Amino acid sequence: MMMFRIGRRAALLGSVAAVAAPSVVRAQADPIKIATLTPLTGAGGSYGPVMAKVAAAVVEEVNAAGGVLGRKVVLVSEDDQTNPDAGVRAARKLIDVDKVAAILGTWASSVTTAVAPLCWENKTFLCTVSGADSITLLPHQGYLVRTQPNTVLQVTRTGEFLVSLGAKKIWTFVPQTPFAKSSIEIMEGVAKKAGGTHGSLIYDDKKTTYRTEVDQMMRFAPDAILCAGYTPDTVVLLKDLYRAGYKGKIIGQAYAINQKLIEQVGQNEVVEGVYTYAPSVAEGSGALARVKKLSGLASPDPYTSQVYDHVNMVLMAMAIGKGATGTVIKDNIRKVTQGGGKAVDNAVDGLKAIAAGEKVDYAGASGPCDFDDKGDILDCKFLYEQIKAGKPVLVKIA
Amino acid sequence: MNLVLQALLNGLVSGALLAVPAIGFTAMFAVLRFPNFSVSGVATLGAFAGYTAYAAGFQIVGSLAVAFVVAGAVGLVFDKVAHLPLVKQGALPAAIASIASGLVLENVVRLCFGNDMRGYDRPIARDVHFGDLRINPQQTETMGVALVIMLLVFAALAFTRVGKAMRASADNPELAALKGIRPDRVAMMASFIGMGLVGMGGMLLGLDSSIDPLTGARILLSIFAAAVLGGLGSAPGAVLGAFLIGMAEELSVLVVGSPYRAAVGFFAILIVLSLRPRGLLGERAF
Repeated sequence: MMMFRIGRRAALLGSVAAVAAPSVVRAQADPIKIATLTPLTGAGGSYGPVMAKVAAAVVEEVNAAGGVLGRKVVLVSEDDQTNPDAGVRAARKLIDVDKVAAILGTWASSVTTAVAPLCWENKTFLCTVSGADSITLLPHQGYLVRTQPNTVLQVTRTGEFLVSLGAKKIWTFVPQTPFAKSSIEIMEGVAKKAGGTHGSLIYDDKKTTYRTEVDQMMRFAPDAILCAGYTPDTVVLLKDLYRAGYKGKIIGQAYAINQKLIEQVGQNEVVEGVYTYAPSVAEGSGALARVKKLSGLASPDPYTSQVYDHVNMVLMAMAIGKGATGTVIKDNIRKVTQGGGKAVDNAVDGLKAIAAGEKVDYAGASGPCDFDDKGDILDCKFLYEQIKAGKPVLVKIA
Repeated sequence: MNLVLQALLNGLVSGALLAVPAIGFTAMFAVLRFPNFSVSGVATLGAFAGYTAYAAGFQIVGSLAVAFVVAGAVGLVFDKVAHLPLVKQGALPAAIASIASGLVLENVVRLCFGNDMRGYDRPIARDVHFGDLRINPQQTETMGVALVIMLLVFAALAFTRVGKAMRASADNPELAALKGIRPDRVAMMASFIGMGLVGMGGMLLGLDSSIDPLTGARILLSIFAAAVLGGLGSAPGAVLGAFLIGMAEELSVLVVGSPYRAAVGFFAILIVLSLRPRGLLGERAF
């Protein structure tokens, strides 16, 4: 029997040679790794699976067209269970084991808040769809962008919508939350700018009746009210507004004034004419048409549209910066989306243009995807609906 | 001024609804000698039992009866199994166990009905105006039901054998036992009736708004504050305390704002315990 032995010298030489080989040679063998961290289970479980599917489909298209920087892209998908603990465990695995350059699609604000510090400390880029104002105020050093509008954008656009309906005296009802004070200040600004007046009340969302709160509001006699609460308290509030005989306009978030609320109230005239608003997908855009095709859905939700944008932006940022790290993405993501250039709505076209030395300006399925310094989007479309006979009816997308 | 009057009127309505579970809480304290915090879970259970009965076609009064029986029976079982064996070691262990029981009940409801809010399928009516003041016909009706329940409870305490036995036991357990009143039976009656009242209270409050597994937890502090304010163990005290807490909570919205409403309950407890620990009507004014 013959034994094959590697001598110590040979082993040492081999190792030295491997280390000394140009890093480029090794890098080209390695695929580029990015990840989705979406809620496949838990409260967000109805959104996460489609989000992951669309992201994977984009990566497949890019790979079929030759990858990024001549390298194949690998997408790892993890489940955050809509739970910060599970989210952090999954993010640790993605960063330490998979060594991904970017994590895309964190959904719940609590998960994003927990995962973000891991990302910026490890120089991994994070794209999120969470809305809480506090997220972009974290010291993320630029390693974070979000495609979901924050409170400032949401309340400003809602106020402008009310003004466009002829509202002069606007009242804001908001529960005691981190966005209570900013919502009131922003709405006040919008009302004053339009030459109107504004009143407000922060309420305790655990009360079983808001009669006294409604009395206070009735003294102000507003012609439009923003109800900025969640479903449970808004049910009580809308009932009390109806009982009090309030006849003006009412608007609230579509996630609070939804089908469940209508069923809860159980009486259509109580919610008749109530307006709702929600961040909208970029209806009519080429990017959204692609999301429809990739997801197989006739009307994809905003989060799926946003994660489509995340993948495209991140891959193009890598191509512009000629590198596959989180830092490269951080330094180049705004070069993909703003500052002019060839209009593109997908990474395959964008990567071709970048390879040809052109500048690109990406407009996505969720909106223009232009970011400010904090990582917030500057603008997006909103969907306004009005409840008629117990069903939401489209008013406009603007 | 009108705003204050209206707030007082609103407070009267919510105080009447609060009084029912507060009487139950204080009656149990009088006989069993420990604060039973499982009322949060029992109120939720009563609200859901009443909701199920109402959805099955019972009228309000019938649904309230179902809420009373279900909440009373379940409350009694928990008292018998979990709380009363601990009372011998002092009120505190039993009180702590009752907090746990409340959580168990709350989560059983959550398991059966889910986290969604539900509303009693009652038509919502517009308010009736009297000058600048307004009151809702349904709330008047609910308040009337609450007042009738209170009257029945007081009549039962004053005129029935069970009521007299409960009062005797609350006043002096040893003497009552010497007179042939069996303390364990009185304890069971107090537990059943007290918890039944709490269950009805949960349903009455739910009629006005909507119910979810946290319904009871939301009103626990107000119930406790009402009972302490009136004098723990005193049924008329609980009624007085409930009306005062109801009005104070509504007035607080005008003065300090709605988010600080919860502080009203704590503040009332603090004041009473520092200035008049026996409560407004004293301990034994049954």
